[in-house]
Amino acid sequence: MTDNAERMRDTRNLYLEALVPLLAFGSTILGIILYHAGILAEIQYAGIGGFLASCLLAVLAWLRPRKDIVSLTTPIYGFIFLITPIDYTGGVVLQLLYACGLTVLLIRLRSRFGAGSPGRASATELAAGPLKTYVGSMHETFTALDPQTGHSAAAVFMSFSEGDYQKAADLSHAAACHGGTPGPVVRAFGIVREHAELLEQNRPCPKTCLQFLPEDAPLTAKSPACTGDTGRECETTIDNALLLLFSAAYHAAPADRPLLIASQAFAQKLLEA
Amino acid sequence: MKIGTIDVKISNISIGVFVFFTLLLIAASMANPGIGPHLIWMIPCLFLLLVIPIALNYMSRSQYHELAPIYEQEAKTVKVRFINENMIGKIVRIEGVVERIHFQFLNRPQYSVADRTGAISVKMFTSPDENVKVNDIVEVYGQVIRRYMVSGEPVINCVIIRKFNRQSQE
Repeated sequence: MTDNAERMRDTRNLYLEALVPLLAFGSTILGIILYHAGILAEIQYAGIGGFLASCLLAVLAWLRPRKDIVSLTTPIYGFIFLITPIDYTGGVVLQLLYACGLTVLLIRLRSRFGAGSPGRASATELAAGPLKTYVGSMHETFTALDPQTGHSAAAVFMSFSEGDYQKAADLSHAAACHGGTPGPVVRAFGIVREHAELLEQNRPCPKTCLQFLPEDAPLTAKSPACTGDTGRECETTIDNALLLLFSAAYHAAPADRPLLIASQAFAQKLLEA
Repeated sequence: MKIGTIDVKISNISIGVFVFFTLLLIAASMANPGIGPHLIWMIPCLFLLLVIPIALNYMSRSQYHELAPIYEQEAKTVKVRFINENMIGKIVRIEGVVERIHFQFLNRPQYSVADRTGAISVKMFTSPDENVKVNDIVEVYGQVIRRYMVSGEPVINCVIIRKFNRQSQE
């Protein structure tokens, strides 16, 4: 997703959010005017704006990665206020209080659940963020990679992400033996194989595990942890190996891209861990 | 309370509701003798407030009891960090430390279980066999689901959670 598209999405969200108090308060004010003009027979129907505003708030809450159950349930109350007969003063006070409530919930939604929906991936490209930046930076390196190796890298990544560790180990072993595969990719297959076998057998990480070479550093997504904690170092190594395979598969196997794009949340998680 | 082989647990909130309405009924009958004839259906209703949660707990726990051996057989041990959306529907086993517990009073506990690689939410829709507390080391068997069934991050729908001692297992 381009920066321009992101800006457009943010602007659209901002307009939608502004519409919540506008609809809620505006509808009641318009209802008061219409009631006094004799056009609106019952003040309860001025609550239609509050109901629509609550539906909009629920949609905005639903689009966020963390769902706010309070905002999601507001249309129920909006609907009850709309269909329940009520006298003029009580109806106006109730609708204004409800509009205030929706506004407070909107502020709460923005402050506690984020300013907008996350960058969603289209069906053809990765979502904007560190993963896209990393994969983009590998374009030159992996474009010339053999498509068969790219497909194997995709298959290994997918098997690993599905928890099918034995299959990931077997595929890694087969792919590493394939002639003409660049050294860093062979090492990535080797690392994934070692870790997949350990995970399959539920064994802890050994004191020394396979590592990338120092000259592979420009190709790895995460800097090696130099904490002296072997467990942490092993975790960084397997993350780097999986991310390198993801990147190699993305560039060398265009046919596997839809699968990789669908699994980008896992790659993103590895990158941010 | 044991019914057959199932250890049925009633939640504090169900007991609280029963006690509240019992006290309300006693107070109402003392204040208004006219309630007397209605006690014939009010008292059974009062007991239903206890019987229904007990019956529901028995049914859910007996079903979990039947599922437990299947999960123990099929579960694959995974690290928390590697649980992702591609594993939705898979039966997994994790080991970790209980960091937080919510909704235990409703008999629908929700644990946050962490291993050294990360933390994950573990939801249980009935009371567990063991009284698990914060900082306990546990093993969890369950299925990876989305938090809101069709949306949300992966969480574990727990069938078994029990205290675990790795040394004794080895």
